[in-house]
Amino acid sequence: MRTYETLFIVHPDVVGDDLAALIEKYRKVLTDQQALVLKADNWGSRTLAYPVKKQTRGSYVLTVFEGAPSVIAEFERRLRIDEKVIKYQTVLFEGSVAAPAAAEKPVQEEAAPVAEEAAADEA
Amino acid sequence: MSNGTRPAGGPRRRYGRRKVCRFCAEKSLGIDYKDLRTLRYFVSERGKIVPRRISGNCAEHQRKLTEAIKRARNIALLPFASGLSSERG
Repeated sequence: MRTYETLFIVHPDVVGDDLAALIEKYRKVLTDQQALVLKADNWGSRTLAYPVKKQTRGSYVLTVFEGAPSVIAEFERRLRIDEKVIKYQTVLFEGSVAAPAAAEKPVQEEAAPVAEEAAADEA
Repeated sequence: MSNGTRPAGGPRRRYGRRKVCRFCAEKSLGIDYKDLRTLRYFVSERGKIVPRRISGNCAEHQRKLTEAIKRARNIALLPFASGLSSERG
């Protein structure tokens, strides 16, 4: 089981709820294939270094997942079909990720305030 | 084919600049294609990859850097060619 990361660019006209729904959809695509999603970050809208599909801006979404190699093929196939995704790139993940929180996002959010309090105490 | 005359520029500097590889010096500085701030130091104004003899990187890190820059270019984080001004490099 290898860890991969896919960075894909979403069409700039897809915003807010639509974007969140799209990210959720692809998260589900991954989990349906028995892949463990370690991260699904939305970097937000950025200016592209060169026009892609005639767009100059796009929303970057980074997903880090762990699974069998066949997962990538299926994931990319789905990305390719979707018209809202204008570019994608999958690479082997280098580096380490903290233990996956899976569905427990509140756990990560609790950890952040605790860390902030500790820093405030030290300061 | 004649090579032409060798330019009389005097003795070539043998020592060059003994720059240290940034990544070897500071082990925590990783090379990641998403880390544009680090990558920008190694890309010229026109978007070209800076050669190793200028940037001072060691061979291993230069190779990794090249791969990272090419990945960043693929995913539109860095341009393939930019500037388009009359200045070189």
